[in-house]
Amino acid sequence: MVYSSLLFIYGFLPISLLLFYLTPKRFRELTLLVLSMVFCGMISLYFLVFMLVYTAVNYGFAHMISKVRKNDKLVAVPLACGITFDLVTILVFRTQYFTWLQGIIKVPEGFYPVGISFFTLAAIGTLIDIYKGRVKADGNIVRFALYMMFFPRLIMGPLLRYGVFTKALDNRNECLAETGKGMGIFAKGLVKKVIAADGLFKLYCAVQAVNLSEMSAMTAWLGVTAYVLCLYYTLSGVADMGMGIAYFFGFRFPQSFNYPLLSIRIKYFAARWQSQVIQWLRRYVTKPIYNVCSKRWMKEAVFVFGWTIFGFWYTVGINGTLWGFLIGLAVVIEGRLLRNKPLNITGCIYTFLVVIFCTVFLAGNGTEYSVRYLFAMIGGNGSFADSQSFYLLKSYIVMLLVSMYAATDLFRNMMLRTGRKKVKAFVNAVTPLIVVLALAVCTALMSYDGSSDMILLKL
Amino acid sequence: MSKRMNKITAVMSLTFIAVFGSITMFSHKLPDSFSEDRELAVLPCIDAEGLYSGSVTAELGSYVADHFAGRHLWVAAKTALQTELSESIVNGVYISDDRMLYVESSQRSSEEVMDDAAAVNSFSVKYDGTVYFAAIPTSAGVYGDVLPSHMIINSEKQQINDLYDALGNDIRKIDAYDILKMMKDNYIFYRNDTKWTCYGAYCVYKTVVQKLGFQPTLYDKFSIEHVTDRFRGNLYNKTLSKRTKADILDIYRYKDAADDVVCECIGNDGKVSKGTVFDRSRLGTSNMYSMYLGEAAPVMKIKTSVNNEKKLLVIKDSYADCFVPFLMQHYSEIAVVSPEKLDRPLTEELDINEYGQTLFLFGIEDLSSRSDLTKIIERN
Repeated sequence: MVYSSLLFIYGFLPISLLLFYLTPKRFRELTLLVLSMVFCGMISLYFLVFMLVYTAVNYGFAHMISKVRKNDKLVAVPLACGITFDLVTILVFRTQYFTWLQGIIKVPEGFYPVGISFFTLAAIGTLIDIYKGRVKADGNIVRFALYMMFFPRLIMGPLLRYGVFTKALDNRNECLAETGKGMGIFAKGLVKKVIAADGLFKLYCAVQAVNLSEMSAMTAWLGVTAYVLCLYYTLSGVADMGMGIAYFFGFRFPQSFNYPLLSIRIKYFAARWQSQVIQWLRRYVTKPIYNVCSKRWMKEAVFVFGWTIFGFWYTVGINGTLWGFLIGLAVVIEGRLLRNKPLNITGCIYTFLVVIFCTVFLAGNGTEYSVRYLFAMIGGNGSFADSQSFYLLKSYIVMLLVSMYAATDLFRNMMLRTGRKKVKAFVNAVTPLIVVLALAVCTALMSYDGSSDMILLKL
Repeated sequence: MSKRMNKITAVMSLTFIAVFGSITMFSHKLPDSFSEDRELAVLPCIDAEGLYSGSVTAELGSYVADHFAGRHLWVAAKTALQTELSESIVNGVYISDDRMLYVESSQRSSEEVMDDAAAVNSFSVKYDGTVYFAAIPTSAGVYGDVLPSHMIINSEKQQINDLYDALGNDIRKIDAYDILKMMKDNYIFYRNDTKWTCYGAYCVYKTVVQKLGFQPTLYDKFSIEHVTDRFRGNLYNKTLSKRTKADILDIYRYKDAADDVVCECIGNDGKVSKGTVFDRSRLGTSNMYSMYLGEAAPVMKIKTSVNNEKKLLVIKDSYADCFVPFLMQHYSEIAVVSPEKLDRPLTEELDINEYGQTLFLFGIEDLSSRSDLTKIIERN
């Protein structure tokens, strides 16, 4: 089940809200856990069992680590076992090499544990935090299970540390105003996913259908631009929906994407893109290594390494790894060459172009394909534009321009900085209408199939 | 944003969700959709296997989508919105002011029709008479040049040629494609449906009946009756878009024809019921096109007062429904077989060798998608 489906929005969501607010306050955490279990069970019963087993194993490791924490040598055993277990879980379900093992544990055909990339990282982070003594192993299994399975953060994060999550759990603010705020965020995410991402995905598919050796430069550019925007809107849309749902239950989660695509430096792009995961990598992987490095080039190498791992985490394959490596490299090169702050507009354009060039490697199905695609982008196939590219441009130009504008922080900044009270009051006044209208439009677009379940990357 | 506005947002949007959610949940559920002309999903029964693999949720999802409050309005809105937002292609249908075209029929590979070709070949081996085959293009095949070029991966002409190449030499093939293509400025295809109009069928009839050994009846020998001008076909069912004008259904009556035509429909249980060539009661249903030959029966025998002892077997899909009436003036008996409705061997229904000629008449879109044709003939 995905958030962007009629079954979820008009079935699961209202019923779960009703149940949540009907239960007395002290049982609400338990209600949330039960609801999350139902959500997992609706994905499939196997997934629920998988999650329960996975949670129980990690809970066991967490307690083992906290028991023998004082003994420096002995503690390495449960820590290493726990982290290995989590990493192996990712590899088993995200790569093709372990089908024999999947057969042994009777995995149903086509099974994919939704959000596996997020909850495994969360589990690893928790084990390390307990080992370092930053958090205590929680005796309350309800909280730990909720941390792993909480349905608003199951599919696309945000990847919170255990300490942060329990703080959010303690400081819940369940009131109508928060629900309204959440509804705004949810509608924003839904629009991103159903209108922007699905529309751009059609453009991307239309370009993919063209034979690469005949592709004109303009078509190639349209295709990869659509891919970049579609990727951003899919990931951030689903993340926003999750965040909005969390607000319904009084949680305040941080956002994952802070308008990264049209930043004025690649450095800012790298800091704003899926920042929760980047922060996780910095905390648990690169920061310990940074402390050992003294020279600048070594630190830069570690930075590139961190982004390479991030890219690897996206696809668990060569494509993503190369993408992450290139972005990391671009940030380092930029740091060396570009001392002064560039003009806003040139900065935006050059960041976007660099991101597009790197993303060709993420989008393609193999390095050779990507190189040929780059070749087509510079007009290597001998044509810069043909009738097809004009047709696609004509059909999608509005969608592309609007989605590019919406990917910038211009509107938000305008709202923050405007001194005119009237403008603010007007925007405030029409917001409820816009939210309902957005819901209606997205419902219409989902009405034929009942859901919009295209997810560009299976995370 | 102020707290008060947040509260208003919450109340308004939750009311919206609650209203549509509860209407969907508690409303009376219809078994099929009139505007979409199809059966709607039924509430899935919960069993261990479905829960285990998660298929119950998928079925529940389509159940909710099918019975969502005001579904036909939502789908119509989707079509309107999507044509504004991106390409004019919605659910596989290209929409323009002039006509709708089914895009996906131009994107199939020829490989898919090969099973059907093999089935027809094995039929003709066991059959004593002459076999004729006519593959009819869809409207997208004839008017496809308005589509953007990258959408036509394998033109229907190519698909038909590949099919004809795969058919045995003793099967006589009828080139409907070029005839229809030549006549494309006339009203030969419906605007809201993939199928041809009666006039399109007449154009092909002139060639077919010559091959079958008769003189075609001239156009002015027919009296033409416009039965309705509100016909919206299968492409409308997919998009619910009323942007394109509704179509006209015609009945061609041969003025000198003998009046006494007897139709018998034979069901899968062997029961014989009375049928009609033009069933006007079907105009009130969701599928107006089924006025031709009435509701599809596995086998339909049309006996006419033509006194020539000639019998024809027609194995067909819905394309032939408006075509068969043209043949009635030439044969004393026509047996019309719809493989998709048949669920027992054809030989149990009739003796194929009683019929001196067999005509296969299929729309190219209906070959391949299902292998109904394969099913029957292998059982022979």
